[in-house]
Amino acid sequence: MAKMKTSIFPLQKRPQYITFCVIMCVLLAISFIMATRLGSVDLKFDVVRRVITNRILGREVFKVDWGESTETIIWNMRVPRILTAFIVGAGLTLCGILMQALTKNPLADPYVLGISHGASAGAVSVIMYGYLWFLGGYGTMVGAFVGAVISIVLALRIATIRNKVTATQLVLAGIAVSALFGAVTNFMIYYTKTGSDKVKTASYWLMGSLSGASWETLKYATIAFVFCLVLILILSKRLDVLLLGDDVAVTVGLDTDKLKLVIIILATLLTGIIVSISGTIGFVGLTIPHITRSIVGTKHSRLIPASVLVGGTFLVIADILSRVLVSPEELPIGVVSAFFGAPFFLYLIRKSHGQFGG
Amino acid sequence: MKLEVKDIVYSIDSKLIVDGVSLEVEKGEFVGLVGPNGCGKSTLLKSIYRVYKPDSGAAYIDGRSIADMSSRESALEMSVMQQENNVEFDMMVYDMVNLGRFAHQKMFGGNDKIRERQIVLDAINEVGLKGYEERSFLSLSGGEKQRTLVARALVQQAELIILDEPTNHLDIGYQYQIMNILKRQGLTVFSSIHDLNVASCYCDRIILLKKGKVVDVGTPEEVFVPQKIRYLFGIDTKITVNEATGKPNIVFIPDLET
Repeated sequence: MAKMKTSIFPLQKRPQYITFCVIMCVLLAISFIMATRLGSVDLKFDVVRRVITNRILGREVFKVDWGESTETIIWNMRVPRILTAFIVGAGLTLCGILMQALTKNPLADPYVLGISHGASAGAVSVIMYGYLWFLGGYGTMVGAFVGAVISIVLALRIATIRNKVTATQLVLAGIAVSALFGAVTNFMIYYTKTGSDKVKTASYWLMGSLSGASWETLKYATIAFVFCLVLILILSKRLDVLLLGDDVAVTVGLDTDKLKLVIIILATLLTGIIVSISGTIGFVGLTIPHITRSIVGTKHSRLIPASVLVGGTFLVIADILSRVLVSPEELPIGVVSAFFGAPFFLYLIRKSHGQFGG
Repeated sequence: MKLEVKDIVYSIDSKLIVDGVSLEVEKGEFVGLVGPNGCGKSTLLKSIYRVYKPDSGAAYIDGRSIADMSSRESALEMSVMQQENNVEFDMMVYDMVNLGRFAHQKMFGGNDKIRERQIVLDAINEVGLKGYEERSFLSLSGGEKQRTLVARALVQQAELIILDEPTNHLDIGYQYQIMNILKRQGLTVFSSIHDLNVASCYCDRIILLKKGKVVDVGTPEEVFVPQKIRYLFGIDTKITVNEATGKPNIVFIPDLET
């Protein structure tokens, strides 16, 4: 019998990999353009183009022959929202990759582990009780970050048995932590008078939505995302080694304790900030790295740029769907991503049967 | 390169697993660690290669305590081959072996890529896996996986190599094959070994371990005598000489009358 000579990952070779990234960029650009046009108000592409050109160049290149409301919709609502969708998608993907390297388990992601719920609870508590008022707009982010830290510590404590994280343990820990922080959030909401603005804002965290996106929040999120991305790319070789397991990684020369601490800090920081601007959007960090990995391979120096592109594009498209499907109403984007992500999660659980039961 | 272990004690839940073990492995020696299941072989080795932190005692390489080195420093002095552990993420054989170069490669470029590549390819060649570079690691057979891990340990280019059950679960052909590969590297080797005839064939010296204690140290001829094997494993043996290797050949005499 002839030996199979096929490479395991279809696009691991450099030229194919670059082609893949270029195609993703094109797809991203197309979805960007579509996203500025589509929505409760459909706009002509030509108008969109002229408004954006004027705004970016900061002067009147094209004569203004459109209404002020059109300009507001495009520049103050849609553009920041689309960019936020990209950052959120890319950021959640990055968090997923970090959690998977940390636990050496492909099922790990901030949502599955309950960290998103922890961050939500933190953010909601800040909104409801306003105790971080002195931080102004940063209050929710700090609250979300603190919630993320508490929940990740809890989730990892429960999921780790003798230094190993099994799939079963991981999923169970995630259920428990999500339930706990979900209860905390619900308690805060019901304890406050229903119908108040605070409750409305809080419900938004539970479903995940990008409708609150603004240039202001986008700015923080972008800074945090770029900072984490650069750091993680520098550490990409170490993440490869960590996948071998802690025992092996140490003998190959990796300081695992230090790296794991850095990963936890970066992942919680990123999750906290993303949740504070978009609420809990599930399954992106789980599905996107998994799919991308099967295409470009496990190596993080390849996986990270590619999956960041895929994740960002995915959420831009999901956002379009959330605005278009029930137009003029709007679906929470968390609902859209769950419709794609949850079945995939089921498939992954099924596939890892080796670890379940028995 | 000399490995020294001084008085290592390790316990789990106040149960002593390794009970004050001291030993030495000289430069260039091939030393085997032999003992029944649960005698603390693996725990002892893990305390040496810093997965476990011993309660007391320490291991030294050329007089330097391994625990005081950074992971990178110790990786340059000592490579470790463990039993194949379950990796969840698949990768190509080439990439798997290349990870063994981690301690040598700088974080920000400045690596001689051609040389690095050659080192990895040479090691893959050495373990007889030429042509497997782009194969999926998880799709390999047990023996092929183990040989990949040997290659990963080899590219670390450390003078001392520690093997923790290197041939467990492998059929006898692979056991000899892997030992052959290791023997011809001319490295200092410290390995736990299950099969007594394999140990007899390859080891310069053998350390016998029972209940966390060293019970004897010596050449295969010195330690593989019926009463010592009986004491260790509870089975009778007849020792002959293997005509091909000139080493003791252990023939087991099971007690069939029950």
